Amino acid sequence: MLTAVVTQSGSAFTVHLVATVPPNSTAEQTTSSEPMLLAANEVASVTATAEETIKPGPSPIAPELKEVAWGGGSFVVFAVLMRFVLFPRLKKGMDARYAGIRADHEGADATRAEAKAEVAGYEAQLAGVKAEAAAHIDAARQTLEAERAARLEVVGAEIAQHRAAATAENDAARAAVQSQIESAVADVSGRAIELAVGKRPDATVVARVVADVMGAGVSR
Amino acid sequence: MLGLEFPPINEILRWQDVFSSFNKIALIAVAAAVLGTVVFLLAGSKDATVAPKGIRNLAETSVEFIEDSVIMQTMGKEGLGWTPFLLSLFVFIFLCNMTGIIPILQMPATARIAIPLFLSLLVWIVFIGTGLKHQKARYFTNLLWPPGVPAALKPLVGLIEFFSTIIVRPLSLTVRLFANMLAGHILLVTFALLSEAMFQAKTHVPLLNIGGVLPFFMLVFLTAFEVLVVFLQAYIFTILTAVYIGSSTHAEH
Repeated sequence: MLTAVVTQSGSAFTVHLVATVPPNSTAEQTTSSEPMLLAANEVASVTATAEETIKPGPSPIAPELKEVAWGGGSFVVFAVLMRFVLFPRLKKGMDARYAGIRADHEGADATRAEAKAEVAGYEAQLAGVKAEAAAHIDAARQTLEAERAARLEVVGAEIAQHRAAATAENDAARAAVQSQIESAVADVSGRAIELAVGKRPDATVVARVVADVMGAGVSR
Repeated sequence: MLGLEFPPINEILRWQDVFSSFNKIALIAVAAAVLGTVVFLLAGSKDATVAPKGIRNLAETSVEFIEDSVIMQTMGKEGLGWTPFLLSLFVFIFLCNMTGIIPILQMPATARIAIPLFLSLLVWIVFIGTGLKHQKARYFTNLLWPPGVPAALKPLVGLIEFFSTIIVRPLSLTVRLFANMLAGHILLVTFALLSEAMFQAKTHVPLLNIGGVLPFFMLVFLTAFEVLVVFLQAYIFTILTAVYIGSSTHAEH
């Protein structure tokens, strides 16, 4: 008697016919490769048994209804929850926070604008004060200039006065010295002429000549 | 000799049912919906007046991500009303994808075609419904023959537009998400099995056992890469949904 043993390897199925007579000498033969000496009805019986045993799994790319149902159902429930519960709650909080942040930004912008306006006012005030200070400085400078000029004028006048007095004194001294020198030169010249020619020249003439010569020398 | 037997594809994709009409994929989908709901519920219960942190920060970041990086880029300001739908789509797909790299679960629910297919069909219904709402019956004529198409080209353009919009859009949405997640899952399984087989191989060449670190490192790298894929696929699905809905609201699209 033969028994069909079906083994599966991947998508291939192999049917072995195992002879059980005699009891301790089992022989294995495949239906496809080994021609069996079986009666036609025995072959049909073996084939039928093999077909009953082979239950191949569904195609790996065929969709299974239960997977479609559970997967699709899960997604639909999730999507509906997301649409009506989950997303609105989350988005509401996000929008509220973003609105708060936007308001804070706007407040900060307003504060910044106020601060800028205050800075501009302060700078305007500062510029006014600076202009006023410059005007004061200019006025003071002009006053000082005027005072300085007046003082210079006074001092210049004093100097001129002193200079005139000194010049006059100097001239007087020079005149005095010159008359003394002329007198001495005339005296020396008269004596020299006397020694040279043996006759003393007229003192008046000598004095006039000396005066002329010295006058010419001074002018030279 | 090292013998590595790769398990049948159904063994790495299908798990024993929890009960007859509820399996691991269903469990992950329900868990994703519940987790998303709990996160947003908790976030909504936190004080909104102070700077957000923790779970509220996470939820607000995801809302702003959808608004700024998805809706404003594709639909403009008038599309902000779609935020809840697109947000739930993104969060749900992201959480369903994430289970592929979470130990014990280690199976992205989107690596089975059921969820991507359902979501794509839902998006398909939504964008056609939106088109009908905004353009009434002219939606279909505008869809088939965009304004400005020469009369001679109308049959060809109509055929192309019909297939690309009505047939290809849901199909490509489904296949893109499903195939990417399935490929990632199979890759992780492959390198995990290879590492295990090499570590445990009864061999006279110890180098073979030590060499098991190579597929293990690859497994670690691919797991990190899968984090990127998880996010990217959720983002792509969501942004394409936004593009489709946005295009339905204007005749010129």
